[in-house]
Amino acid sequence: MALVALEIPKVGLVMENARLVRWLKKVGDAVQQGEPLLELETEKSVVEIESTETGRLVEILLQADQDARVGDRIAWLENGAPETDRIKSSPVARRFAAEHALDLRGIAGTGPRGRVQLSDVRRASLAAAPQDLESLSSMRRALARSVTLSNATVPQFTVERAVDWTALNTLRAKLAAEWPAGTLLPSVNDFLLQSIARALLLHPALNVTFWAGDNSSDAGVVPAKSTHIGLVVAVTDGLLVPVFHGVEKLGLKELARSRRELIDRALKGTLKREELEGATFSVSNLGKGGPDRFNAVINPPQSAILAVGRQRDCVVVLNGSIHTRPMCQLTLTVDHRVADGRLASDFLASLVAILEGEPDV
Amino acid sequence: MRSVTDPAVPTLADCKRMHRSLCRIRFFEGQVQRFAAAGEVPGFAHLSTGQEAVAVGVCAHLTRDDALFTSHRGHGHALAKGCDLQATFAEIIGRESGLCRGRGGSMHLADATNGMLGATGVVAGNLPLAAGAAWVFQARGEITVSVVFFGDGATGAGVFHETLNLAMLWRLPLLFVCENNGYAEFTSREEHSNVKQVSAFAVPYGMPARTIDGNDLLAVHAAAGEAIAGLRRGSGPYLLECMTYRMAGHFVGDAQHYRSKQELAAVKEKCPIERMRRHLIERGVKESELDAIGEDARQEVLQAVARARAAPRPDPATVLNYVYSATSLAATSGVIP
Amino acid sequence: MIRTFIEILRRALDEELERDPAVHLLGEDVAEGGAFGVTRGLAEKYGAHRVRNTPISEAAITGIATGAALCGLRPVLEIMFIDFATLALDCLVNQSAKYRYMSGGQLAVPMVVRTQAGAAGGAAAQHSQSLEAWFIHVPGLVVVAPSSPVEAYGLLKSAVRLGDPVLFIEHKRLYALKEALVVDGELPQIGKARVARVGTDVTLIAYSAMVRNALEAADELSRSGLSVEVIDLRTLLPLDMTTIAASVSKTHRAVIAHEAVQNGGVGAEISARIGGELFDELDAPVTRVACPFAPIPFAPELERALLPGTPNIVRAVRAVAGLSAQSGE
Repeated sequence: MALVALEIPKVGLVMENARLVRWLKKVGDAVQQGEPLLELETEKSVVEIESTETGRLVEILLQADQDARVGDRIAWLENGAPETDRIKSSPVARRFAAEHALDLRGIAGTGPRGRVQLSDVRRASLAAAPQDLESLSSMRRALARSVTLSNATVPQFTVERAVDWTALNTLRAKLAAEWPAGTLLPSVNDFLLQSIARALLLHPALNVTFWAGDNSSDAGVVPAKSTHIGLVVAVTDGLLVPVFHGVEKLGLKELARSRRELIDRALKGTLKREELEGATFSVSNLGKGGPDRFNAVINPPQSAILAVGRQRDCVVVLNGSIHTRPMCQLTLTVDHRVADGRLASDFLASLVAILEGEPDV
Repeated sequence: MRSVTDPAVPTLADCKRMHRSLCRIRFFEGQVQRFAAAGEVPGFAHLSTGQEAVAVGVCAHLTRDDALFTSHRGHGHALAKGCDLQATFAEIIGRESGLCRGRGGSMHLADATNGMLGATGVVAGNLPLAAGAAWVFQARGEITVSVVFFGDGATGAGVFHETLNLAMLWRLPLLFVCENNGYAEFTSREEHSNVKQVSAFAVPYGMPARTIDGNDLLAVHAAAGEAIAGLRRGSGPYLLECMTYRMAGHFVGDAQHYRSKQELAAVKEKCPIERMRRHLIERGVKESELDAIGEDARQEVLQAVARARAAPRPDPATVLNYVYSATSLAATSGVIP
Repeated sequence: MIRTFIEILRRALDEELERDPAVHLLGEDVAEGGAFGVTRGLAEKYGAHRVRNTPISEAAITGIATGAALCGLRPVLEIMFIDFATLALDCLVNQSAKYRYMSGGQLAVPMVVRTQAGAAGGAAAQHSQSLEAWFIHVPGLVVVAPSSPVEAYGLLKSAVRLGDPVLFIEHKRLYALKEALVVDGELPQIGKARVARVGTDVTLIAYSAMVRNALEAADELSRSGLSVEVIDLRTLLPLDMTTIAASVSKTHRAVIAHEAVQNGGVGAEISARIGGELFDELDAPVTRVACPFAPIPFAPELERALLPGTPNIVRAVRAVAGLSAQSGE
């Protein structure tokens, strides 16, 4: 038998103080977890407070009409089963569950007194994993962890805009004609990296990483002192995101060289640890054979990722007349904890303007 | 070697040799007592001081092939049977070089190569074992014999009577040697049994028996010689009751409150070594020669004791050895937990 | 050729007497064939010196066998009922078992004490006991309990050839049992158990006559779809944990069945060993089927009421397997 204290829980987002209206249980009563225990009057309404434990009410510490603050101790409950959350399970069932990363709490026990037996865990494992399961490579496992973490913990939204590549294509053709033969020409990705860097400098609120401590009150953003941008590279059996550091300081030639080298090493699997870390933003371009548009998943703790659709000729209306232009769809996925729709939309507008204008050669 | 079937009066040389043997046992027990008092002897050490003549007089007729079993008070019997002094002492102080590698100790001395087939801590416990050995000799038609030493206290055990019955029934070549020292542990014989003489127990089974002065080496030698010769001729078992006197307590450290001062003083009179010494002087042996024999035996014992004490102790890692034969352990991983 | 347990034991002894002149038999009435006729005709064949009658002196004859073993014989002693082994306990426990150890390996006691145990036919409280657990507590002893005539044949011959004192326990219920003996020359190893029936769901460990009940139970349970692996221990000391572990690691469930009372029984030892060494393999508590804690009664109704049998084993296995207690589906 153990005594447990019951406390005033936080009701709603803003509650600080409350008044106890009346107890719904008296000393000596058996109380089930989730059963209404008392009525509390908050700033907004009168609410029923449910017991967070199961047991017998042995002492009431706060009487009706008294004021209470969140976290105040209001009663003692005698808890007859300190191991209420202990799962009855056989030793071999526990071992099997541990070996197959199964949570016993999710498995119904069919043994005596509800004991989880080997057969129960086996059944659960068969349901979880088909017989022809092929295990993941370590890269895919890491990727799976990362995207799962992203989807589970990062609230994401997307904004979209089309960009007209006409100016960029003209520039690329010009450079190809002017630069000496054999010079490494900048790719679309180099222009994208450069333009994103400039847009990030215009919108520093997006050039951050999100940091969440154990306690959400510790959460915050860490602004970047420069522009560090990841470029998603498809490799055998997965993808890698090499990071270009200090992009705003690099000219197109340097960027092209750096890009070629990093992609080369990504494909060879020889990237250094620091070349995979430190970005606030990533860009994913599936290229010529890619889709018209797609959504990318943020790579935590970065603030956003840009998905670049394929370039194609589209009919557009410009200044009241119909034109055919090489267009491409940009989809920006943003961490809502970092930015709202306005910032995302402004950033995307700036990026489109830069890409459609005169890039900095 | 003199014929073992001849129980004739020992020659002077035999007597001197036996005298030396008495002294050896006496000094040996003195050393056991000394080191037991100093805490170097683990467990219980039972001394045979004062009873040496029985051991020497009987064992003088035995060869290495004859089987000998003894009681918890068996140091003297082991030495008289030919066990190595140093290995015997090493066993009593629990050394790896001991007769039993330190596994047996004072109460479980055994030396297979000398026919010393074991002492027992259970009074009367090995009387039937001695009968078993005798049965083997009989079955093989050998002239070897089996001898078992026991105290008068053993006559209270049922197995004593069972063994007398069986030995006589099967006419086994088995010599029962009772060392009647008047005490069964701390209680005198009068309080133990209505039967005054242990030899009387042989009567109903039809077994020949005699009661002799066990402190008189020559009397023991003569009686044992005759009995053992009979055994070798196949005339069946014999019970020899040797009246002797335990000069030491039941065990080292026994305060002997149950004995009077006068009684303890009389002990010296009965001392078998003093009596043998007087006999040898009567037969013309010089005191100086006897002193020299005694000193020689003393030195032998002291050297053996010193070497035994310097010998290594058993390795604790070997504590599970010798529980089973390798074949018994073949199906296990070598050890039975 | 179909032979009874008794005839097969006799044949094993006959062959060992023939093979090794060191083998000698002794015990009460053995020259006349013994109380159960096991040694009938052997005294005539090998002489009264090798098949020797003794007085009713269990303490002394056990000592004689021990002393003889020390001097090179291989005695096979018959103690008519294990209940009378109480009279020989000093020798078995203090002398026979400890000689090798106390002598630091100089001396050995290669002897077999054949005795007969178990309840049947109203032999009552002093002629029916199963006292094997006392002996598995003694370092130096070997305890063998065959489950059938054929098993007894090989195990007895292996026991006679062993270098240690063996208590060879014959169950009186098996004496009239008949089996065909096929001698293939391969003798069983002492200390090694036998998988008497292969199964996958529950390991059922038994020895002596209880193996037959275990096999019956396994048959019955197979009709409920339960696959029971039956282990015949053969040797209780040394205990073959390797075979037990292999089986329990497969089935994750163990039931131990013996006729002796449960308290401090062989089952307690095995259960503790499984719990300690195979904890992470277990899917259910190790369960014992044993005699309720009472002396063996005389009246047939009472004897039947007390002794554990096939239905007890079936119930225990079903419970361990998580099936309902009723027989049949």
